[in-house]
Amino acid sequence: MKNLFRAAAAAAVTALALTACGGGNSTDPSNVSPAGEIKPREISWLLSRPADGAVINIMKKLADDYAKEHPGFELNLITTPDRPSYIQKLETLAAANKLPELFDTDATPFAQQLAKQGKMVDAEKLLKTLDMYDDYRPAALDYQRFDDGSLYMIPFQFELEFIWYNKALLEKAGVGVPKSLDDIPAMCTALRQAGITPIAIDGQDQWPLERYVAYQPFREAGPDFIQKLKKGEAKFSDPAGQKTAIWMAELGKAKCFQDGFSAQGYSDAQNHFTSGQAAMYNIGTWELPSLATDKLNPAVRNDIDFFTLPTTEGSVTAANEFVSPSGIGMAVNARTYDPLVSDFLKFALEKYPAEYAATGALSPTTDVETAVPANATPLYQKALDQAKDLGEKQAMPWDTQLDPTTNGRLQQELVLLVQGEITPQQFTDTMDKTIAQNAPKFFK
Amino acid sequence: MITQAAAPPTATAAVTPPQPGRKRRRPDLFRTLSRVLIMLIVIVQVYPLAWLFVTSLRSEHDFATGDPFALPGSLTWDNYARAFETGDLGRNILNSLTVTMGANVLIVLLGMMAAYAIQVLGFRFSRLVRGLFLVGIIVPVQIALVPLFIDYSAVNLLDTYQSMIIPLAGFSLPMSVYLFSSFYEYIPNETYEAASLDGAGPYRIFGLITLPLSLNTVVTVVLVNSIFIWNDFIFANTFILSEELKTIPLGLQNYIGAMGKVDWTATFAAVCVTITPLLLVFLVLNKAMIQGLESGATKG
Amino acid sequence: MLPNRSRTSVLVFLLPPLLLYGAAVLFPILQSLFLSFFSWNGISDMEFVGLDNYVRMFFADDIFWRAFLNALIYLAICLVLQLGGALVVASLLTSLRRGRELIKTLYLLPAVISTVAIAFLFVRIYSLEPVGLLNQLFQWVGLGALERPWLSDVNTVLAAVSAPEGWRFTGLYMLIIYAALLAVPKELEEAAVLDGASRWTLFTRIRFPYIRPVWITTTIMATTYGLRGFDIPYLMTNGGPGQSSELLTTYMYKTAFTSTDFGYASTISVFIVIECLVAVGLILFLLKRKADS
Repeated sequence: MKNLFRAAAAAAVTALALTACGGGNSTDPSNVSPAGEIKPREISWLLSRPADGAVINIMKKLADDYAKEHPGFELNLITTPDRPSYIQKLETLAAANKLPELFDTDATPFAQQLAKQGKMVDAEKLLKTLDMYDDYRPAALDYQRFDDGSLYMIPFQFELEFIWYNKALLEKAGVGVPKSLDDIPAMCTALRQAGITPIAIDGQDQWPLERYVAYQPFREAGPDFIQKLKKGEAKFSDPAGQKTAIWMAELGKAKCFQDGFSAQGYSDAQNHFTSGQAAMYNIGTWELPSLATDKLNPAVRNDIDFFTLPTTEGSVTAANEFVSPSGIGMAVNARTYDPLVSDFLKFALEKYPAEYAATGALSPTTDVETAVPANATPLYQKALDQAKDLGEKQAMPWDTQLDPTTNGRLQQELVLLVQGEITPQQFTDTMDKTIAQNAPKFFK
Repeated sequence: MITQAAAPPTATAAVTPPQPGRKRRRPDLFRTLSRVLIMLIVIVQVYPLAWLFVTSLRSEHDFATGDPFALPGSLTWDNYARAFETGDLGRNILNSLTVTMGANVLIVLLGMMAAYAIQVLGFRFSRLVRGLFLVGIIVPVQIALVPLFIDYSAVNLLDTYQSMIIPLAGFSLPMSVYLFSSFYEYIPNETYEAASLDGAGPYRIFGLITLPLSLNTVVTVVLVNSIFIWNDFIFANTFILSEELKTIPLGLQNYIGAMGKVDWTATFAAVCVTITPLLLVFLVLNKAMIQGLESGATKG
Repeated sequence: MLPNRSRTSVLVFLLPPLLLYGAAVLFPILQSLFLSFFSWNGISDMEFVGLDNYVRMFFADDIFWRAFLNALIYLAICLVLQLGGALVVASLLTSLRRGRELIKTLYLLPAVISTVAIAFLFVRIYSLEPVGLLNQLFQWVGLGALERPWLSDVNTVLAAVSAPEGWRFTGLYMLIIYAALLAVPKELEEAAVLDGASRWTLFTRIRFPYIRPVWITTTIMATTYGLRGFDIPYLMTNGGPGQSSELLTTYMYKTAFTSTDFGYASTISVFIVIECLVAVGLILFLLKRKADS
């Protein structure tokens, strides 16, 4: 509020300056069990999850149950499913110091700044106090951690990302499942020759293509690469960076993605795959209901399978280490944290995993068994089983790691690189320059 | 639905061209050509809407797998059911109505007042004030986003109806002032002088003479501005958070699900539902609006 | 001027509109100017940086210049579609004797649809896979070679996002010009026809000079609306691929609300304001001078 006050006051020739700004009296973020009486009131959760999805439905129900014991309590869920719009809202609300009691965020540099300013409750301490910390999958918590290992967000999901493929189409083109990431360009060429779209991708939402750029460095240099890259300590001109730039250009040259992918949305990409036109499709377990149940187009149902992220020669990460996100996490606002919020979280977090697993999804905790739906194909269980055998490292999506300006530029330049509008060299120069310009402001 | 209803008359108009009665040089080729051209442009203007409506009646599966531009095999209202289930269309429409009406009241009332002060009352700096208003016609609305966001958060106006109404009204005000004052130019001075001789002051003259005479211009101002305000995306997208306050353009974005998954057919159904109110008003008041636009523009 | 008015009465009528207008339009412009000298990300302290933002904008930001150029092309396409289209249709309409009202209404229809819906719609129209309307049309008329993903091709995307904006408001401008054309005195036209003037001379010598004042107003309206174009490119391509459809307005918006670089975004805003004032000044200068000569 101080900054706003200054902005307004300084700019102001007006009465705006008179606005009383009651300063942010931040409570101690490490105090996870505030003393005092529980006074029921309405609290808000600003989230970015599908309006009719499992998380929201369950939390609504749990809030209703809680309100029965605590009349006057209400959980106001404000969702903005469209992620870019959401991030914008979150950042601007934070700037205005108007964050609600609970809010969703990835472990972004921006969130880290908020944590440093003491605006978020220490989630590790919170979960330990609730005696739930050990129930969570380590991978689910690691996904939420900042670089320094601190934990400020609580996960509500656990997903695994696979490359789904159509066996019949691969057979038709005479290719097998790729053994190495480096096999993929040649595989695409063969598929194209057989008149098949190699990979269906949602280009409009940008993050799917950004996954691909993360794969080679993760295999070549491990999860540290992006941690260094985002701070300007590693560069795209380094071997791992060059490898991914050149590989992305090769994917483009081999026409791996459907024509005009950059303007194609999520549903188009999925339809392209499920209608049997595209051979591969990179998506996470959140799509199990569409890909591994009888909802899937019968014409391709028996041909669909998946493989996990291929390794490369000399890969420093193992085959059971890939992208396993626990979704956007929930942060607790330190300023509004009081006995009520604390008590409600205790109530809800304890009951949530069982309810969530019952919907057929993977819980971020290990203490419950996921219920496989009645209409599932055998693939459903196979996908869930992968969660039992995960390595220690995981590939972080880059969009949660880079500063927003660099991220935006990377997304733009990637499309150009894959479409062949720029060379890997131009890509490298632009990106290294962008990181050098923007990273210092965020990671000083 | 509108497009369907509207289609038959145009079709017949094309098939049976009226016989030219008057004698003119080279009439036929030019006329046929211009008629064909007009029809073509009409199709370009109307076809997308017709497609939108037809698509909203297709089944999800049909849309995903079939040729999206062919006529659907069967029609279904399921998408409408889903559209109402997923979104809160009624509330979105109500919010858009509230914002549109709120902004329009301000635009009309304040526009008339400013025009009255500038054109009828007159004062020393009236040219300067007129010039100031011109700035608002020229500058794009986006420049106000950052400052307004900061100001709103300072005075607790974020996420309220006012946060949308104020800039929408503010940026439409200049056009309204302009339209009203060019209309007031045409009210003869004698009218005012006569009233003044009867002892009427500026307030009574405004209420008894200027206001009633302005009604036609009011319709124009309201309709033209409503088009922009009803469809405003940028202010709503920047200042509104709560589900309860979302207007139609934001509501439509609700059909974007997890990770960007869109239920297209339900979205199109929702689009059809949400354009209906404005379309109805527009069709009913169409004549008044066209007349107002035409006269307003030609006088200026 | 009204004889017995008082200073109070002027203030009573003038203050409320000025207050709203000042708060919503004038004050934000001043604030932008002020913020443009600072570096501020919303949660850090504001830091005075003098002209740094302006130096960065003019000399060190390739996206800015790209966006500026794109905005001009976008404007040009919108103007051609809106004004050119409006003039052609309005002229044709005057030669029509029946169905004018109906056609006027149909033309105005696209203006009532929200841009979000229009963006959804045109994404489907331009699509290549599944094949969209536009590409299908090309197939049907045997121009299959022209088929392309319009929104992914860096050479076509800017035109593709400009067209819907032009399309939706053609009707509005057509109405205005049509009304002006109707007001051209019939005697003038008939006299010219008797003198053996062709349709073209009739148009350039009689009709167009007569509607010039309206034409200027319409041009200014279309230009300012063109310069504030935002929704459709933002929703359809978000400026991509690369920066091929980035406009100054979308770039400013992203700088402010995605990069949370409020100071720099305000610098771009200041530039946009100046750009618009210059554009309108130019139009007035050029069109008025022509009229005088």
